[in-house]
Amino acid sequence: MTSTDSLENRFREAGALVVSRHDFRRDGLVMSAVVPPGSLTGLARGLRQDGYALLDVSVLEAIEGFLVTYHFDDFAAPGRLALRVLAGTVGPVVPSLAGIFQGAEWHERESSDFYGVAFQGNPNPVPLLLPEDFEGPPPLRKEPKALSSLSALGLFGRPQVLDPAWQDLVAPKEKGEATQG
Amino acid sequence: MNSLNFINPFGVREEPGSVVGDFYTANFSRKARPDTIILNLGPQHPSTHGVLRVIVELDGEYVVRAEPILGYLHRMHEKMAEVKTPWQYIPNMGRVDYLHPLAWNWAYVGAAERLAGIEVPERAEYLRVISCELNRISSHLMWWGAFVMDLGGVTPILYAFEEREKINDILQIVSGSRLTMSYFRFGGVSSDIDDRFERLTREFIPYLRERLKMYKGLVTDNVILRRRLEGIGPMGLDLCQRYGATGPILRAAGLARDTRRDIPYGVYPKLDLAIPSGPSDDCFGRYLVRLGEIEASLSVVEQALDALPGGPVRIDKAPKANWKLPAGETYFAVEGARGQTCVHLVSDGGRTPYRLKLRAPGFSNLSLFAEAARGTLLADAIAILGSLDLVIPEVDR
Repeated sequence: MTSTDSLENRFREAGALVVSRHDFRRDGLVMSAVVPPGSLTGLARGLRQDGYALLDVSVLEAIEGFLVTYHFDDFAAPGRLALRVLAGTVGPVVPSLAGIFQGAEWHERESSDFYGVAFQGNPNPVPLLLPEDFEGPPPLRKEPKALSSLSALGLFGRPQVLDPAWQDLVAPKEKGEATQG
Repeated sequence: MNSLNFINPFGVREEPGSVVGDFYTANFSRKARPDTIILNLGPQHPSTHGVLRVIVELDGEYVVRAEPILGYLHRMHEKMAEVKTPWQYIPNMGRVDYLHPLAWNWAYVGAAERLAGIEVPERAEYLRVISCELNRISSHLMWWGAFVMDLGGVTPILYAFEEREKINDILQIVSGSRLTMSYFRFGGVSSDIDDRFERLTREFIPYLRERLKMYKGLVTDNVILRRRLEGIGPMGLDLCQRYGATGPILRAAGLARDTRRDIPYGVYPKLDLAIPSGPSDDCFGRYLVRLGEIEASLSVVEQALDALPGGPVRIDKAPKANWKLPAGETYFAVEGARGQTCVHLVSDGGRTPYRLKLRAPGFSNLSLFAEAARGTLLADAIAILGSLDLVIPEVDR
């Protein structure tokens, strides 16, 4: 397992927006990072060289948009990681990892089926689990009133917010607090 | 050949280079060479284990390209998780993977327990190990019979079913069912074992050990089987890493990686668990790893029965039907018969989970098939497919 300190440095250098350490027993993660879409493929390439494999791609729909989470684990010495990218609410697009981890192709197609998130660069972007003539909105999208904000979902463990714009998304100030300040 | 026209079973005249089929055939054919044949296997083909469909491009008998087409057994378990309470969803897990339902029981119940910080009584932890390992043995036996049948040996599956029935007799005592078992509950298991459970299990262990000797003489050492498997479908570590393959496929590639030992859960750290790996990354290596795992599981069941402590099988204040998960996110993995079986659970503290993602090992394992089958004989591609131990409801979820 690559040490968490060196991983954290690598995420910081790649322009991570939030880096979090986690309680593995509860969260099942050693570390997670929210990264800008542009640095995703570079980080994934580094993880592949270090012996990590892609476990899955899991999309979470929230008020702020679609949080696409890539779970990685090191085959040689386990230490699960999550890389996250936030895609906007309208026409969400994130880069594909299928050129680095070929197994990503199916995970991405499944996410496209269920959430309508496009993965730019996927070599075969046709429906995987849904019929090709499926009509209607992507089935896992929620009604607007059922959406939660990211901060209410307890995703960030012990966070270090590196981009001030993310402060409110990770832990918003109480309303009373904001008016006092 | 170019002057011949072919008539397919539907009576449609096929010009050379023309495409007959559906959306997926047309999508697949775009990259085809002009001098090859495109063949559709499944979704109702006997060698495709349920309803998997594979389109292959053939040059003579050699596979140029292959593409599995999924979704014929897709039931949207992830959506059901969002509209059912955690309690109501437990029976779904028995239906995701019908051969190893207790691994999925454990993955979901374990994830919820981690999120809520619930500790399970020690007796229940041992019962989970005993039932889950018995279930793993029955899953591997089913694979063994079906795999040898894929290769043309029809009799062994009848033997496999005989042992499988014995395991079903045992697990039925506690779970009440023989297929889609739901035995695990938040904070423990649904019921304690009785004398009959223990007696049947104790009888079964030496019985199967004897039978495994016969399997070796009858099947494993059979020269025809060896010729069909040795050197066929190598899947090295690099391939496993790029596709996220786990379980017996990864272990046959030489890496003794097993979630039960590497990311421990339950009482596995207290038990002596043998993890067969290697000796070769071909179809025969995967065959040997699974047979070795049957023996390893028998040993674990035996140890767990010997060490079984007394006490309750569920915590006093076990979650009730209207129980809500606390807000938060967790990712929990167990070792299923096919590899790392994971549940990604996110809750906003509401009545039903906010999001549930099921990571099926068979999904990742099957995704490497297209690459592994390239350049092999079609008959060998069928052997490779069988060596992946596919359970399509798990792949499609």
